[in-house]
Amino acid sequence: MQHLLDFLRKYSHVFLFLFLEVLSLTLLFRYNSYQGSVWFSSVNTAVASIDRWYADALAYLHLGENNAELTQEIVRLQTENELLRKQMQEAQGGTPISDSTMLATLQTYSRIPALVTSNGVGVDNYLVIDRGVLDGIQPEMGVVSGTGIVGIVYLAGPHYSLVMPVTNAKSSISCRIRGQEYFGYLLWDGKNRHEAYVDDIPRYAKVKVGEKIETSGYSAVFPPGLFVGTIRKIENAPDGQSFRLRINLGTDFSRLRHVSVVTTPYKAEIDTLKRTAEQLDSLQTP
Amino acid sequence: MVQTFFGRFGWFVALLALQVFVFNHIHLLGYATPMPYIFFFCTLTSQTPRWIYLTAGFLLGLLIDLFTNTPGMAAASLCLTGMIAPQLMRLFLPQDKDKDDTWMPTARTMEWGSFLRYTFCLTVINTVAYSLLEAFTFANWQFLLLSMGGGIIMSFLCVIGIEAIRHNSTKHGK
Repeated sequence: MQHLLDFLRKYSHVFLFLFLEVLSLTLLFRYNSYQGSVWFSSVNTAVASIDRWYADALAYLHLGENNAELTQEIVRLQTENELLRKQMQEAQGGTPISDSTMLATLQTYSRIPALVTSNGVGVDNYLVIDRGVLDGIQPEMGVVSGTGIVGIVYLAGPHYSLVMPVTNAKSSISCRIRGQEYFGYLLWDGKNRHEAYVDDIPRYAKVKVGEKIETSGYSAVFPPGLFVGTIRKIENAPDGQSFRLRINLGTDFSRLRHVSVVTTPYKAEIDTLKRTAEQLDSLQTP
Repeated sequence: MVQTFFGRFGWFVALLALQVFVFNHIHLLGYATPMPYIFFFCTLTSQTPRWIYLTAGFLLGLLIDLFTNTPGMAAASLCLTGMIAPQLMRLFLPQDKDKDDTWMPTARTMEWGSFLRYTFCLTVINTVAYSLLEAFTFANWQFLLLSMGGGIIMSFLCVIGIEAIRHNSTKHGK
């Protein structure tokens, strides 16, 4: 306190000077129309600039939320796009009843937004997301980003879950060529995180470089029509019976942040049916 | 003490009256107006508290502003000059004086050379500050420079004239 008083006493003339200058300038701007107008227009310009910087800073701080919303919107639009595409095909030439049923089930898929908190590298890498069982996450749920599919939930804890991405050597996801019904399995050879390949495409399929690969919907994990990647190269599979399609993945795993977990209320039912079928098979087998 | 106060008060009133009634009506070539009222700082001794420099400068400037319808201009510039004046006095300290001595900045105590340099600095600071506040833009910088230059020269000449009168009257008084 004494130091403060000493400081104020020592520099009292400076404070007095500042006070008198402020008083003088107030009089100057208040009672001199020219100086007043120049001053106020300059102040207005400065305040407008500060307001703009503040608004820019706020917008930057909200980019995370915007990204999450955009991711949700992209996934929704992709699903809607597939639905409309199928409806258009149906209107033009008709589609099998099974497709219509599947399209109807698309409506039942919902999404849980999540953030990637850990992103591993290597052949057996996994992602960690900040949603768990308490948020409704279960193993074998599909995970997508705004630019394509990401992977499948492998393990789910109460608050966090482990996701096996498509860039994991153990991953295998059913895919098809957009606009065609030929499907194969999306696999990864552990070399490049931007590339994967699709095996088991029949040799009579008319495939071209640049065509899109999407999820087939032949499981309860992913809705059909979610973008996976673009065909980069067509080559023969090692067995010589089918094509192997080298694709550029739509998802950039090196800067993955916002994802959505795709859920469906029918998954548990489908899983139960599968298990029952397996049990019946094992009983029938002598 | 009382005599000193009235002496300074007399200078205060005299410089104010001179500015209001005489110098404010001089506009050399339409640009330069002499402002020799900074001479008031030459009537304050080296040991005068700084708040007196500031307050007296502000009041003198404010009164001049009231009579010239320029509220704040002379007050702000003279207050700034009053803030710097004690530092300048220390800078031009006469050789026979110590910094703790009490002395008044006159041609007699400082010699004419130091006194002229001291008052020239005061004149430049006050005139530049006043001209900048008056113009409040650099758009017409040629006019601004002419106004500053003319004001400095005329104010400085007036200050020399006033000091010469004081010098002579002191000599005759002796």
